[in-house]
Amino acid sequence: MLLVIGRTIKESFINFWRNGWLSIASVSVLTLSLYVVGALLVILLVSNTILKGVESRINVSVYFKPDITEDRIMTVKTELEKFSEVKSVEYVSKDKALEDFKKNNAGEPVIIQSLDEIGGNPLLASLVVKANSPDQYQSIAEYIGKADYENDISRINYAKNKVIIDKLNDIIGQAKKVGTAVALVFAAVSVLIIFNTIRITIYIHKSEIEVMRLVGASNFFIRMPFLFEGIIYGVVSSLLATILLLISIKLVNPYIPSSTVSRSLISFYLSNFWFVLGVQMLFGVALGLVSSWVAMRKYLKI
Amino acid sequence: MKKIQEKITEDQIEDQMEENIQPEKRKFPILKFDHVSKIYKGDFTALEDIDFEIQEGEFVSLVGHSGAGKSTLLKLIYAEEAATDGDVYFDEEPLSKVKRSKLPYHRRKIGTVFQDFKLLPKKTAFENVAYALEVCGVPTEEIMEDVPQILDIVGLGDKMHKFPLQLSGGEQQKVVLARALIHKPLVIVADEPTGNLDPKNSIDMVELLLKVNRLGTTVILASHNRDIVDLVDRRVILLEKGRIICDEARGKYKTC
Repeated sequence: MLLVIGRTIKESFINFWRNGWLSIASVSVLTLSLYVVGALLVILLVSNTILKGVESRINVSVYFKPDITEDRIMTVKTELEKFSEVKSVEYVSKDKALEDFKKNNAGEPVIIQSLDEIGGNPLLASLVVKANSPDQYQSIAEYIGKADYENDISRINYAKNKVIIDKLNDIIGQAKKVGTAVALVFAAVSVLIIFNTIRITIYIHKSEIEVMRLVGASNFFIRMPFLFEGIIYGVVSSLLATILLLISIKLVNPYIPSSTVSRSLISFYLSNFWFVLGVQMLFGVALGLVSSWVAMRKYLKI
Repeated sequence: MKKIQEKITEDQIEDQMEENIQPEKRKFPILKFDHVSKIYKGDFTALEDIDFEIQEGEFVSLVGHSGAGKSTLLKLIYAEEAATDGDVYFDEEPLSKVKRSKLPYHRRKIGTVFQDFKLLPKKTAFENVAYALEVCGVPTEEIMEDVPQILDIVGLGDKMHKFPLQLSGGEQQKVVLARALIHKPLVIVADEPTGNLDPKNSIDMVELLLKVNRLGTTVILASHNRDIVDLVDRRVILLEKGRIICDEARGKYKTC
């Protein structure tokens, strides 16, 4: 059995090599479609990371009136923590708020100066509420607005980031749609071209196939080289597509501010390298196998 | 008188050989056509109600004009085509019941020889014969041992590393016969094996087939060549328009 498989693999490599231009056509189209798949995957991964980053930054800030005591705020905090939607509640005291404010505006002496002029601490104590998922903020904010400690609250601040998230979600959805459509078109073209290549391979090997049948080669043995050829197309193309993807990410890299993904695009890709390559290879091998299988069913009489 | 004596001694040798090679003789026919018809697409009847048996060790000449159905009949034996009606029994097994995936194993029990050789041009004589074993998963050592042996039997021992184009038609056909024999088949099916050969090579070929037959292999030879069939001088089945019109145990082309 092992012997048979070894011989068929050898046979398919020879086929692949001798087919020359046909192999190049098949491989290049499949490479393109796998490149699109890979690029789509990277874009989705990146945008998901961005989305996660933005999501983690949104919260509902509940500012309390200046005369509310810290004890009172803590009671509200424990109450809020009881909700299943609420992931965490963080207390920011007046002093902490001032500190943060100063830190954030350290580069702007005018603001610091005006703060000093006011004297005392004009900032309010607040609770920073984070929800488990972005769409729960609305209901949390509404609840707090109607709760019995409503009068203690100066203002609730939540809507700020919602627009950004919606927009981002929209972009990701569009990218998914367009990317999938392009990938599907390329995939269909590659299936057709590989199908044709295998068909021609079968035609070229007509006399060999006939002899094989006559001397009693098993169906498995006759079919294997063609299936392997399909697999070889998949593997070679996914490797080429990976090289192409690496090059294009290197080219694009300088234009993407690293802050969006919290690190450079290239390192982001490299950390997901095996996953992307794996998906590409799986996709490529599946396409190669399917097309040679169909060609065989149609043209290889056994 | 002398001829008869020759014949007797030859028969004795045959008997001895059979005893040596095949101690057990089958009680059932190796091949049986049970009221077989073959109708191709488009309502073309190639064979009609073919009914005969072949015992193991027989040498049967299948004769008839081109288009009489000889090739179709042979195709039914090596399962290239399936019978439309009736059934072909090979080694007691009805071929219609053999699964497609098991057909290769059936074909290994049959060696085929064709008019147009069907050799692979890019392989040497040795490689062509070895190929038949390779595709069946025979280990390399066994191939290295068996192939030269069989090429010696057909008389090509010294030319086994030549390519088909470097060989004469007669020699190519011997390579084909070697390839057909390499699996030690039960039956050799030869479809016009002498069709592309000159008279001398044709006689050589027939003598080789007779030798193979003497060694115990059943041979079915399809031919429209009168001289060849008369030379064999064994059982003759005459086909005409898809029917058997005559089946003689020991016949000549014209007597049939």
